[in-house]
Amino acid sequence: MEVAALAALILVVGIFVLLILGIPISVAVGLSSALAAASALGFENGMLTSAQQMFRGINNFSLLAIPFFVLAGVIMNNGGIALKLINAAKVMVGRAPGSLAQTNVAANALFGAVSGSAVAAVAAVGSTMGPLQAKEGYNKTFAAATNVASGPAGMIIPPSNLMIVYSLVSSSSIAALFVAGYIPGILWALVCMLVVYFYARKRPELKITERVSIGAKARIVLDAVPALLLVVVVIGGILGGIFTPTEASCIAVLYSLALAFIYRAIKVRDLKPILLESARTTGIVLFLIAVSTVMSWVMSFAKIPAMVADALFSVSSNPYVIILLIVAALLIVGMFMDPVPAVLIFGPILLPVVTAFGMSPIHFGIFMVFALSIGTITPPVGPVLFVGARISGVRIEDVSRQMLPFFGVLILLLVVVAFTPALSMWLPTLIGLA
Amino acid sequence: ACGGGFESPADSGDTADTESEAADSGSVSAADAETVYRVAFNQNDQHPQFVSITNLGQRIAEATDGMCSLEVYPNETLGTQKDTIELVQAGTLDFAIIAGPLLENFNTDFAVFNLPYTFDSQEHQRAVLDDPEITGELFASIEDQNIAVLAGMHGGIRNVYNSIQPVNTPEDLDGMKIRVIESDTNLRMMELMGGSGSPMGQGEVYTAIQSGVIDGGENNPSIFANLKHDEVAPYYSYTQHLMFPDYLISNPSVLEDMDPACNEALFAELPAALVEEGQLWVEEVEASTAAAEEAGAEFNEVDLEAFREAVAPLVEESLTNETTQELYDKVRAAAE
Amino acid sequence: MTRFKEGLDKALEWLCVVLFALLVVTVAWQVFTRQVLNDPSGWSEELAKYTFIWLGLFAAALMFGERGHIAVDFVVRKMPAGVQHWIGVFGQLVIALFAVIVMIYGGYKVSALAWNQNLTGLPVNVGWLYTALPVAGVLILFYSVYHLISLLRHRESALEEGDPELI
Ligand code: NA
Ligand code: NA
Repeated sequence: MEVAALAALILVVGIFVLLILGIPISVAVGLSSALAAASALGFENGMLTSAQQMFRGINNFSLLAIPFFVLAGVIMNNGGIALKLINAAKVMVGRAPGSLAQTNVAANALFGAVSGSAVAAVAAVGSTMGPLQAKEGYNKTFAAATNVASGPAGMIIPPSNLMIVYSLVSSSSIAALFVAGYIPGILWALVCMLVVYFYARKRPELKITERVSIGAKARIVLDAVPALLLVVVVIGGILGGIFTPTEASCIAVLYSLALAFIYRAIKVRDLKPILLESARTTGIVLFLIAVSTVMSWVMSFAKIPAMVADALFSVSSNPYVIILLIVAALLIVGMFMDPVPAVLIFGPILLPVVTAFGMSPIHFGIFMVFALSIGTITPPVGPVLFVGARISGVRIEDVSRQMLPFFGVLILLLVVVAFTPALSMWLPTLIGLA
Repeated sequence: ACGGGFESPADSGDTADTESEAADSGSVSAADAETVYRVAFNQNDQHPQFVSITNLGQRIAEATDGMCSLEVYPNETLGTQKDTIELVQAGTLDFAIIAGPLLENFNTDFAVFNLPYTFDSQEHQRAVLDDPEITGELFASIEDQNIAVLAGMHGGIRNVYNSIQPVNTPEDLDGMKIRVIESDTNLRMMELMGGSGSPMGQGEVYTAIQSGVIDGGENNPSIFANLKHDEVAPYYSYTQHLMFPDYLISNPSVLEDMDPACNEALFAELPAALVEEGQLWVEEVEASTAAAEEAGAEFNEVDLEAFREAVAPLVEESLTNETTQELYDKVRAAAE
Repeated sequence: MTRFKEGLDKALEWLCVVLFALLVVTVAWQVFTRQVLNDPSGWSEELAKYTFIWLGLFAAALMFGERGHIAVDFVVRKMPAGVQHWIGVFGQLVIALFAVIVMIYGGYKVSALAWNQNLTGLPVNVGWLYTALPVAGVLILFYSVYHLISLLRHRESALEEGDPELI
């Protein structure tokens, strides 16, 4: 028992100290886990076990979906597909109050539905929509805030690499997680549109002047169909049981590649930088997954998840109180940490807690990904926020202040998602996946 | 907003230490023993092997007056089965329960027990695995690789199920794609049985049958019912083609270093644990079969002789040396 | 040393590109054989998995070369430059320690342990598969020593250059 306590102490203190000192997260987690293992097993067996579990972490065929969806996303960004999606979003939104800002939200959601990277969406859509909005008299900071706030919708709407990472720590079905993300992801976009609506209602000057003929509208939508068809092929293929998620991710690569060549958006010599960019992300994510597997092993060995569950239940046995505690914890973690390591580190600790009161692992996955996605748009560490601010040329402090109403509705929606299993579980149950 | 309806954690049982449910009888607590040996296991805490080995730990704790006990770590938390063998070899883990075919990687002769129709029944298998005349040399053969095989355990009987029709003879499987565990032997076996094997991860099987990518699978009734494959492939036919054992393994030096009283208690109580495991399997299969029938599944007997003949070439090809041939003959003799 | 590092970067970049392309082709082939030919290819899944492991570990090593692994550095950014410098030096020592004890030593130990284990259906032993770890560990060790020297000579700044977002 004392051996386990010592291992737990080394693990927690080690990770905390090394993270504060700015050591790469993967090394902080990996070294602390290995030293914790060594304290319980001796140096030789501790290192042997750590290396073995690193290998086990990445020796997993379903993980291949991650590099493939990343690659498909990078190809899409180079494929000039964003512009077609923005035009389609414009038609969808029509002449609603604040329609240009509404278009930005819809375009981010559509982009997320085909690619999945919030940063890529915010960069591609923001750089196009920002100047348009400035011309129509929008406040530059508000335009940037809208762009940033709606960016992460695409991390929840499938395909989503974050969901694949969560499926690893929870052993739950990728297909079920994907489907479960649709409603909360679309709601994310809708509440952003709601904020824009109330903002624009008081500013009648923000209305669109240009009129588009039915014929032009039809042409614009038709133009975006090949890109949107990717959703049908990939997600439809997974849900129909035609492809496994890994196979579907490969189809997504081939499809986006074909699309990009047909649109003449990329040339053969662009392939090397595209593959290299995707390999970089793959390397970082895989290394994180490898070391997190060592951490999970040490935690199981030392029974840390059970200790955390006992501690939480000693605070309160009311599930709603515990869920609120987890919401607060995940929002704080998300302020400082990227969602991928956060899912890998906190997923295995919190999952036994929530399943103890009957929460489905699928529901918890959506709730966790939702909470950590909010973290990508909050200071002090918010990659989506940083990129969105840079693209629009506004200060991070100014955008953050302008985003307060967005934070308000998103946190409210997060609590609703956490307390309402049906929002996540209805679709997968309907299709027979959960 | 609170449309949820979560249970209070107290109602659903304290998952933080499920093992206590099985082991908290008697005056001595297994969890508080001076030395608690770790047993790695890949399935959940309802499985016959989990329950019987957890109870074994409790009995060892009682017999040694709290000196030592076992704790089973379920759900692959200490690694995949392949990992846990390596960790037992290295001395990181004390015990592991692992599937028979994995020991073929250390001595190919173990393959004999994993061939189709090696065993006629659960009782036949139990008798063979308990007979040191038959298994003694084989079990001892990998001790130099730091693996001590303590016991063979029953691992269930695998039968074919599909979405099309009841299967009576190999001809009935003609044109059917059946999911098998990925290995050349399994692909060959399914081909000889009349169908065609299609390897894929267990997690994908349900939707693959539902959408018609494959027509069925082969597994024991417990997994058939628990994974709800009965909903999409209701025809379950007792082909009984595979009955490979699982093994409880340890490291020879762990056994040596154990306090003699603990070692003695372990080996004294082990046979009873194996009997209990067998009974739990029978109960589990009965319950699963009833649940599957409730869900609309149909169970039928098959022409066993036809299937046995069909896979005979595979058995023959696999008995590549004298040792395996001899071993196989002894196993079959025990069936008479 | 700088020239060697640049050469190694180039070599690793090409290796990653080639392995990634191979990965796409292998899985595409697997989908094709399963969906179109209706005859799943047995070797493609294994080949894809091991290509992926080597790709991931080489790419991870390359990212140590570029100091591109993500870190939580908002505290360090608030420190005075002198402290940042020594924290940066410490960081490279920690990376080197990890590479040596876990990836090289631990990887060697587990590889040796599994050297006689023959996975049915694979042409190589299990130990051989594990060698990806010590190989990547040596690359990471080299990069951390390189950055350590550059830091001590004040040719590099103390902070990592992290990617803005992962996925
Ligand atoms: Na997405
Ligand atoms: Na943040």
